Amino acid sequence: MKYTEFKERVMAAAASRGLTEYELYGEEKENISVETLNHEISAFSSGTVAGACFRCVCQGKLGYASTELYTDSEARRVVEAAMENACALETEGEAFLHEPGDCYRKMEQAQVTEPSASQLKELAMKIEEAAYGADPRIVDGSQSSADFRRNRIFLSNSKGLDLTHENAYTAAYSFPIAREGGEMFSGFDSKAGDYAALDPVSIAQKGVEDAVSQIGASAVPTGTYDVMFSSHMTAAMLQVYVNIFSAQAAQKGMSLLAGKEGEMTAAPCVTLTDDPFCQESLVKMPFDGEGVATVRKDVVKNGRLITLLYNLATAHKAGVASTGNGVKAGYAAPVSIQPYNFYLEKGGGGTREEMYEHLGNGIYITELNGMHAGANPVTGDFSLASAGFLIENGKKSKPVRNFTVSGNFYQLLKDIALVGDDWELRPPMRGGACFGGPSFIVRGMSIGGK
Amino acid sequence: MINKALLTRILEKALSTGADFAEVYVERTKENNIAMIDSKVDSITDQLISGVGMRIFSGTRCVTASCTSMDEDALLSCAGRMADALEGVPAYQTVHLQERLFGDIHPIRMVPQDASLKTKTDLLKEGYFAAKNYHPDISQVRANLLDVDHQILVANSDGLYARDRQIRTRMVVNAFASKGGEKQSGSCSPGRRMGLEMFDLISPKSIGEKAARQALTMLSAGYIKAGRMPVAIESGFGGVIFHEACGHSLEAASVAPGQSQFCGKLGQQIANSKLTALDDGTIPNAWGSMNIDDEGTPARKKVLIENGILKSYMVDKLNGRRMGMESTGSGRRQSYLFDPTSRMTNTFIANGPDRNEDIISSIEYGLYAKAMGGGSVNPVTGAFNFAVNEGYIIRNGKICEPVRGASLIGKGSEILMDIDMIGNNLETAQGMCGASSGSIPTEVGQPLIRVASITVGGR
Repeated sequence: MKYTEFKERVMAAAASRGLTEYELYGEEKENISVETLNHEISAFSSGTVAGACFRCVCQGKLGYASTELYTDSEARRVVEAAMENACALETEGEAFLHEPGDCYRKMEQAQVTEPSASQLKELAMKIEEAAYGADPRIVDGSQSSADFRRNRIFLSNSKGLDLTHENAYTAAYSFPIAREGGEMFSGFDSKAGDYAALDPVSIAQKGVEDAVSQIGASAVPTGTYDVMFSSHMTAAMLQVYVNIFSAQAAQKGMSLLAGKEGEMTAAPCVTLTDDPFCQESLVKMPFDGEGVATVRKDVVKNGRLITLLYNLATAHKAGVASTGNGVKAGYAAPVSIQPYNFYLEKGGGGTREEMYEHLGNGIYITELNGMHAGANPVTGDFSLASAGFLIENGKKSKPVRNFTVSGNFYQLLKDIALVGDDWELRPPMRGGACFGGPSFIVRGMSIGGK
Repeated sequence: MINKALLTRILEKALSTGADFAEVYVERTKENNIAMIDSKVDSITDQLISGVGMRIFSGTRCVTASCTSMDEDALLSCAGRMADALEGVPAYQTVHLQERLFGDIHPIRMVPQDASLKTKTDLLKEGYFAAKNYHPDISQVRANLLDVDHQILVANSDGLYARDRQIRTRMVVNAFASKGGEKQSGSCSPGRRMGLEMFDLISPKSIGEKAARQALTMLSAGYIKAGRMPVAIESGFGGVIFHEACGHSLEAASVAPGQSQFCGKLGQQIANSKLTALDDGTIPNAWGSMNIDDEGTPARKKVLIENGILKSYMVDKLNGRRMGMESTGSGRRQSYLFDPTSRMTNTFIANGPDRNEDIISSIEYGLYAKAMGGGSVNPVTGAFNFAVNEGYIIRNGKICEPVRGASLIGKGSEILMDIDMIGNNLETAQGMCGASSGSIPTEVGQPLIRVASITVGGR
């Protein structure tokens, strides 16, 4: 059966079990993707997935159960299971379903062109050919891909809330491989947006530039260096450490920012913003996973922690209003806390080249690996495999790799000496939040090398 | 799940534009996850995943589709769209499905689905409070009990019809120790392809205590100074070094398109002659085991490297076509939403000729990595990295004070030659491995090993 019919069955089953507070959250995802290998389309895939999560308040607690099978028996099962799960919880006073009445921002209907299968194939092939054409060192094994994603969310509850929202975008990727002297070098670039606006040649060229620029990379001696993180690495660091800004983490003793609202927690050149309506972003959200209207907010303003990110339960506990950041990582996931488009604001340091000059001598880091392992999101400690370029006398010089950069993110925020203006927002990761910012400079970081 | 007659029609529809192979993968998975934090049961998720993934091959080209709906019309139209995308010529091929029973070598005594929530929360609480009450400096504990009941059916145009039911249980305890504004974490997360009887083998108490002990040790640790040095890596999760540095580069997914540092190296020496490594999906009740892979091929035991010589890759059907090789029972996918590719199962370095005490005493100054965290690799360049969760300095052949913040980085082809001592206390550990076909359970393992020299990140 279809979602609307399933929803009716679930709501009826909930009412007949005597429940008074309940909610159904549905998600539908469509995707088409194309992959190339050795001058050919090697894979084409399409998929649709739909699932729904039922939540109900039972004994003052909020139980969950979810399913992808829209049948009568599943409609009854999710209600029973959510009730049983609620009763087994031990956290009271945290069960909130949102009332209607919020003023949701009207989203301008962005013109999203849905590419046909052959248009996606053409896009991927153009990237593939442009990559081979961009440099003679690009070899077989290089790949490109293009995909289109559409994501719909439906949220209805017993209080009368009934919301839907849709996001859709096309993304294109280049994964070229360069070979020189028996060694291989991999590159990457991606761009997401409306199909019509994607430039395959530029994506290929940037990917190839990423691969060939590493040719001849050497190790650096162990020591202390001034470091500039590229705009992409700003996004990567924010993504790994975003949880320290979550009120949930703070209230559970897993963020050292707990109780620091209003205090200086970063250098004065640091402003961090979460903007659900960010102009440059493909993922705009008028309401969160609990149905609360979303808002743009500065989380850190000129170094001062203005607010953590809250959902309904953590806001209630702290005696503040939800910031509209109660997000579900997928339809079946519990409501957690996430930003939408979270970025470091421009800091006046100028273009990338001007930032090299400010750095003077040091290392420009363009790649950080193993973030899920080498960066501890609770303690803030990190020690990450890196690659990048030496900056000598204010100019980008030879590539370097196979070294680690180490530090602590809480300290790093305070140590940021200069923020550039080469601001960029990265494409969303697996439909989640977008992260971005300009490059930034930190003096005296610990580098482990040869 | 879906009857044979409909499966046959789906396969025939999928072949209708001239594909030379078609496959249908049907999945029904029940996942439960109970979470505790702040000494309370904080959340319970309960999910039914249900859907179908289909594929067709034409030579080495592949078209795939997935669909949540189990309705006949939706499934047939999904197969039709897939056939259309092949842009082939109309063809009529018949399929005759013949069920094959491969048997089940993973007995389950207590199916988690049938246990009461109370039984499960009691187990979780035992692990939780063993960590929480371990020491006053343990400020927070987060613990999860996960159980998965994963039922799959694979049918293909070669006539294969096979099913498997994979039950897995895992407990994860993360302990946080705090003192004077400092915070450190420790974790322990064993899992088995078993039901709740897993906890007869590994008590929840031991899981909680291990996590707490690690957090406390790290709280009193200083930072390690970065540099190149010899490193002794302990058994168990230490095997992540082989998984990242070598395993991923031996997957046909990297080898077939020429994206691996080990392309064309079969029969050649790629590792120190003391090193033998295996991928074995047939170990009863081991975390990464299965009866059949997600393409319906029975799981196998493979010697990947024998005395330093590369013997075998891990191969799935599609990449096998590209390489002219048979599947090695390595085709895996997280769910029907992901396209299967070659992946590891239980992958480990076998016991070697050295005595463990000789390995430690051979190191004048270096790092003893007692517990490893996760890591990652770029199979193209072989550059890998991983985190050391619990490390100690070795001085004059003796294990000394604990150090935090260490990571190991290097290049796969180099470290394999540099593993120059291999001990004899093989142990395995469990993890979730992420790659293009999703997040799947894999086991890593090794005895204590010595890496002659490697870059250690620290400060």
